[in-house]
Amino acid sequence: MKTTVKKNPLSGWMGAVKKYSFVLVFLVIFIVYALVSNGLTWDGMMNVFRHSAVIGVMAIGMGIVCLTGEIDLSVGSMLALTAGFSVVVFNQTGSILLTLLFSLVCGGVLGGINGLLVGAVKMPAFIATLATMLIYRSLAQYLCQHLPAAAIGGGSSVYRMSNQLTGYQPLYQFGNGKLATLPIVGIVLIAVTALFVYLTTSTKFGKKIYAVGSNQKAALLGGIKVSLMKTLVFVIAGVLTGVGAFLWIAMNASADPATTGKSYEMYAIAAVVLGGISMSGGRGRCLGVLFGAMSYTVIDKIIIALKMDSLINDAIKGAILIVVILIQIAGPVIKERLVRMRHGKKAAAHG
Amino acid sequence: MELLKMKDICKSFSGVPVLKKVHLTVEKGEVHALLGENGAGKSTLMNVLTGVCPLDAGEIVFDGKAVENITIRHMENAGISFVHQELNLFNDLKAYENIFLGREYTNRVGTLQAGRMRREAGDLFEKLGVEIDPNALVCELKPSQKQLLEIARALFFEAKLLILDEPTTALNTEEVEHLFSLVRKLKAQGTSFIFISHKMPEIFELCDRYTVFRNGEFVGEGQIAQTTPQEVTGLMVGGAFNGQSLYTPRPAGEPVLELAGYCGPGFHDIDLCVKRGQIIGLTGLQGCGSSELMQCVFGALPASGGSIKVFGKPLAGGSIHEAMKAGVAMLPANRKENSVIPDATLLENMYLSEHTLSATRFQIHQKAEQKRFLQYQRLLGIRAQGSDGPITALSGGNQQKVFLARWLNTQAELLLLDNPTQGIDVGAKAEIYRLIFELSGEGKTILINTLEIPEIQKVADICAVFYNGRIIQMLSHGQIDEHTVMLYSTGAAGGEKKQSVER
Repeated sequence: MKTTVKKNPLSGWMGAVKKYSFVLVFLVIFIVYALVSNGLTWDGMMNVFRHSAVIGVMAIGMGIVCLTGEIDLSVGSMLALTAGFSVVVFNQTGSILLTLLFSLVCGGVLGGINGLLVGAVKMPAFIATLATMLIYRSLAQYLCQHLPAAAIGGGSSVYRMSNQLTGYQPLYQFGNGKLATLPIVGIVLIAVTALFVYLTTSTKFGKKIYAVGSNQKAALLGGIKVSLMKTLVFVIAGVLTGVGAFLWIAMNASADPATTGKSYEMYAIAAVVLGGISMSGGRGRCLGVLFGAMSYTVIDKIIIALKMDSLINDAIKGAILIVVILIQIAGPVIKERLVRMRHGKKAAAHG
Repeated sequence: MELLKMKDICKSFSGVPVLKKVHLTVEKGEVHALLGENGAGKSTLMNVLTGVCPLDAGEIVFDGKAVENITIRHMENAGISFVHQELNLFNDLKAYENIFLGREYTNRVGTLQAGRMRREAGDLFEKLGVEIDPNALVCELKPSQKQLLEIARALFFEAKLLILDEPTTALNTEEVEHLFSLVRKLKAQGTSFIFISHKMPEIFELCDRYTVFRNGEFVGEGQIAQTTPQEVTGLMVGGAFNGQSLYTPRPAGEPVLELAGYCGPGFHDIDLCVKRGQIIGLTGLQGCGSSELMQCVFGALPASGGSIKVFGKPLAGGSIHEAMKAGVAMLPANRKENSVIPDATLLENMYLSEHTLSATRFQIHQKAEQKRFLQYQRLLGIRAQGSDGPITALSGGNQQKVFLARWLNTQAELLLLDNPTQGIDVGAKAEIYRLIFELSGEGKTILINTLEIPEIQKVADICAVFYNGRIIQMLSHGQIDEHTVMLYSTGAAGGEKKQSVER
């Protein structure tokens, strides 16, 4: 009786490179940055963490959603809405803890709405979150105009934290301070990443996320409650956006409902893809998302270092995304064609 | 006069021969029944004939000419048309659009001549005596009308030979009659048919000649008028059962699964009592409802009536999780679609289901899981190097063992195996049978649904034969043989529902 045990294609040196290609992409971009910025400083490098914090945390949430094969287009608008309301809560209560709690719960609820639409109602995620993207952004802008001036910090079209409150300084310190030369928000990003790397690699919950994304029908017949899992990943994405919103107001002391988080859903998706998570679900690792997000921050820094017009920013980010994905997609196709050609020759030789 | 002659056709799929030098001759103006059990090679031969898959060796002569270039387009143009079992119609298009799809009439600038196409389609329907509005959307047509529309489409392009693959499965008696009268009418005009069906009464009503295949080999042909359903069935199932039997009678324990008047999609009025340690085989023709019954018991499909008790406790139904907690497990059919988590490792594929029961113990203990995997690897004989390779690298039989491990790992006591040996080579099949006996010896209760009767004959204590969604006959182990089962499952015997033997 013959058995076919193929060699694990993801083992060995080549496998490792493929598995961690996101590190390679990051290193290439980072080296370019080091070259153009003449004189890399420790603070400069740490700034990458700081500026990746908000988008990084959100991208991790997006990554979890993408692992189940879904998508969340609403996170950018959700950031604006949650950040705006969190400012209001801070101005009314003056409590950092309550503000943090509110950010998380508000994000969770907004994400839960997405989750119910996709998981329970079985709406296509693209449509459902497109709709909530419009709703959340609009609400953030509308309420900014219609809330009492004191609640939004006296400003007109921006949610501003009141600097009269005793909690203001500590919160701002949290957003901009450093702990042993590491930006505190960067530490939060790393902690969140670590938590989700643990969740996705070492827990039953995490493995179920992969199973749902890999083969939904088999997961269902294997006993996984697919609807519940889908709802939960959207809640997680919401809570992480809540974390992002809290970091945002701590760093900026304000949130502009028109511009905060604009296009962030796209940057998050780009970071997820760059980090090697398959958009059809089931494949990829959370650690990659961190590198994907940081790669994009470094691109920003390169453009600043080169004193280029920042409006060219998105063109370069888009181009890099295309190149990386092209390599990922075209690579295996070319390899397969080579293998087939070799087989063809062999067959011809035998025949 | 011969219209089609296929000679010495050979075809293998990845080294496994599926057709071994078979031949088939169809006369002009006849209805030719192509008979054989599931997997006998009928569909493969038709796929070869229509150019869907290339043949390895042999020759095809159609309409007096040897066919050299066998491609789908070429065979279609030559006048061979395949009316598939699952209809190849576009539901969102209109009836006439379906007929002309890909060959539309256009004027010089490329605008569709809808009026002309509609008119010609209408004329054709009238000529055939088919009542279909050319403008009707296909999704609004009845199943019989769809079937007739497919035939009409084939005829519009002057098909000389139509292949009807189980055309009556979705039709009621009246619609079948309509289809048959159309076939007879066309036959009189000189069109030939290859008729693939398992239903003996239909074959003897409609067909002129027959050819029988068994295990990819030609076993006989002849005139329908000179044979009987019993004789044809005998040809289909072949000689006496061979191969050593592992079967030993075992004592049955308390009732494990009790169904009374159980109804669901595709089956109805099922009364069944399964006792601990028993192995019950469910069988019947494709679409007889036995697979759906399993899915309902497992909660993957909702039942519509009747009662179900598992280990004496009633199940609400419709929830896989509930069934799992009650100790039920199902190894679904179509392994690739319903079992394989392609991006996950062997270990991950194995522990998946158990984890849904122990979800509150959040963390995965890699070492403990690894130990359990090795345990099952030894027990089931899973051939794999380590547990961290991808599941897709294993052979079908080894994959199936991993999924068996997935369910044993949930400590299930009632195992529902839906077509467990699908796409598995002979050696691995024998191992699966051995495992089934071992498990039942340990007190597991096993239901096995399969279309392959020899399989039932090897393992089952009792065989429940399904016909049109009902259990038409219960056979005890000694009574199970291919001939008897085939007679019941084709409706050739047991028109009245009989009381079960030996409950």
